[in-house]
Amino acid sequence: MRRALFLVVGLLGFGLPAVLPARAETLSFPVLVPLTGFLSLEGTSQRNGAALALSQAGAKADVIDTGTSPEAAVTALERAAGGGNVGAVAASMLGTQMLAMLPLAAELKLPLVTVSGTASITEQGNPWVFRFFPGDAVTKTAHARYVVEELGKTRPALIYQTTAYGQSGKAHLETAFKALGAELVFEEGVDPAAKDLLPVLTKALAAKPDALVLHLHSGPTALLLKQAASGGVGANGVGIPIVAGSAMHQPSTAALLEPAELKGVCAETAASPVSGGSPEMDAFTASYRTAFGKEPDAFALGQYDGMAMVLAAVKAGAGDAESIRKALAAGTHKGLAMTYASDGKGNMAHSAVIVCYDGTGRVPAVVKRYDDLDGPVQAGAVK
Amino acid sequence: MEVAFQLLLNGVALGAAYALVALGFVLVLNATSAVNFAQGDLVMAGGLLAVALAPLIPLPGIALLPVVLALMAGLGLVLAGVAYLPLRRRPPVSVFISTIAVGIILQNGASVLFGPEPRVAPPLFGDGVWRVGGVAVPEQSVAIVAVAALLIGAQQWVFARTQLGRRLRATAQDPEMARACGVPVTAMILVTFAIGTACAGAAGLLLANRYFVTPTAGGDLILKAYIAVTVGGWGSVPGAVLGALLIALFEVGVSSVLSYPVALGALYGTLLAILVARPQGLFGEAVRRRA
Repeated sequence: MRRALFLVVGLLGFGLPAVLPARAETLSFPVLVPLTGFLSLEGTSQRNGAALALSQAGAKADVIDTGTSPEAAVTALERAAGGGNVGAVAASMLGTQMLAMLPLAAELKLPLVTVSGTASITEQGNPWVFRFFPGDAVTKTAHARYVVEELGKTRPALIYQTTAYGQSGKAHLETAFKALGAELVFEEGVDPAAKDLLPVLTKALAAKPDALVLHLHSGPTALLLKQAASGGVGANGVGIPIVAGSAMHQPSTAALLEPAELKGVCAETAASPVSGGSPEMDAFTASYRTAFGKEPDAFALGQYDGMAMVLAAVKAGAGDAESIRKALAAGTHKGLAMTYASDGKGNMAHSAVIVCYDGTGRVPAVVKRYDDLDGPVQAGAVK
Repeated sequence: MEVAFQLLLNGVALGAAYALVALGFVLVLNATSAVNFAQGDLVMAGGLLAVALAPLIPLPGIALLPVVLALMAGLGLVLAGVAYLPLRRRPPVSVFISTIAVGIILQNGASVLFGPEPRVAPPLFGDGVWRVGGVAVPEQSVAIVAVAALLIGAQQWVFARTQLGRRLRATAQDPEMARACGVPVTAMILVTFAIGTACAGAAGLLLANRYFVTPTAGGDLILKAYIAVTVGGWGSVPGAVLGALLIALFEVGVSSVLSYPVALGALYGTLLAILVARPQGLFGEAVRRRA
């Protein structure tokens, strides 16, 4: 029944071939993602996005949990490659795992389709990697531009995570704010294991900022917003705008908070499927809910769009991994989140949006869209 | 001044919850000489159990507490049955490894059953915030302190004033002598595991409302329990409580002056200083050797 529904939805058309051509029937598309460990939340979204795209096209999703170690990811890739005629791999969003898999992917000549945000994976000169999620250079530029250009704030305070994710975002935010003429009046990192964020929030507010900028993981974002809301000043408790990182847009983050605690909070993200925006996006969200019983996020959508582009290439005649790689490197794909095209390094996503919550529910509205933030992309630059 | 009071309240609430984690850890340690590395994951299990029970018992968290305590005590008996008793005559390292294995099973089991998303448990009484002279006092923080104090006090009473408590202490101090005196040592060990795991469950329920719970949350908590017990004195119950409060003081108090990473560094620096100056911990070493 579920499979039938997928096929119907596919035929209704949100960009996917309903059935793969006969010559590509033997191709397999392994899904190697972290389903356990600290990145299991995002990895599960990735798995679901890839699995939905493959199901709708009538292809089988062979899922292998890569955990969080680079060795496990490499072993998974070797195992997947040994299983048959691989067309492309939905690969881990964990940067360290991607960096470990890249040399093997080049050796095996397998395209890796990922939503990893780690900048360096597309800076290795490896033609086999394709990232369907905007990197920090894109999202943090949108983040800073919204604060400065739309909100008119020039004295933001930044609270970021001490992880690699947090450090990377912090560096890009510093650069972006400086370029926009804004001065960060406070910046401090917090460990993801920190249970109480009132100390850092108190110090940030003591610096008299005119906006609070967050770049935290899901749990810490919710924790900080909850503690901010108890401050009782203004709509969000602190009396100044709060613009969070992409973790805020995840429905699982919003689920931790009461709608009133979200009032006036905004966030950057690649996309917000639950916010809708088009019949195709609504159809995707409905299919996702039916298949997995939960709400999709931008990681799921990015991986879905990535696999959709792979499957579209197969439908257009790409019958092996090399043909698929060439199609990804040279083509343009109108996905549900944005239009994807490689910048010559495998960066396919170049847009970001800002979403805001109005305090009446947990579904944000898209209030601003930024395209081509890393410069116009010349599609067709085959590597 | 208001901020200082608010930070103090947050720190005491966090320390009280940590104290329950450390208490369960030290009880099992005393009774068996074994380090229960699954304690952090048992706290996580208690939090997720509260999350799972909330839709079935649509009442404030305080009504869930006895159910969580009872079910987690049962889980403690299972833990003792599969991870301790079969290995009790083997070298201590066997029990360390078996409890690590149990922790991993709990973690992955929670991932499968609940998914990887952070979850929030219901508040003990309410989720409101009282305003006292400009200070925001979350109801949940006050409730955490009160419930943790009650549970720790009740446990102290059982250990100090009841026949069961005397038997438990006798088992912890010298199992062979206790057995020679007619104390059912195996039963006492099972009771200890049940109490220790119930403590973990209570801590999970208390922490999972204000600080959320994920399947991977246990790793950090076992580290804190280990530090609390090491600082307080290996095997000392009051020491474990004091150690837990000290950790919270660094996490909330010191980090409000310095940064969180520096506060964490200062905590480990203090731990090293205590180990150098007073290797037995602040309250002495009550039981046997260190792991």
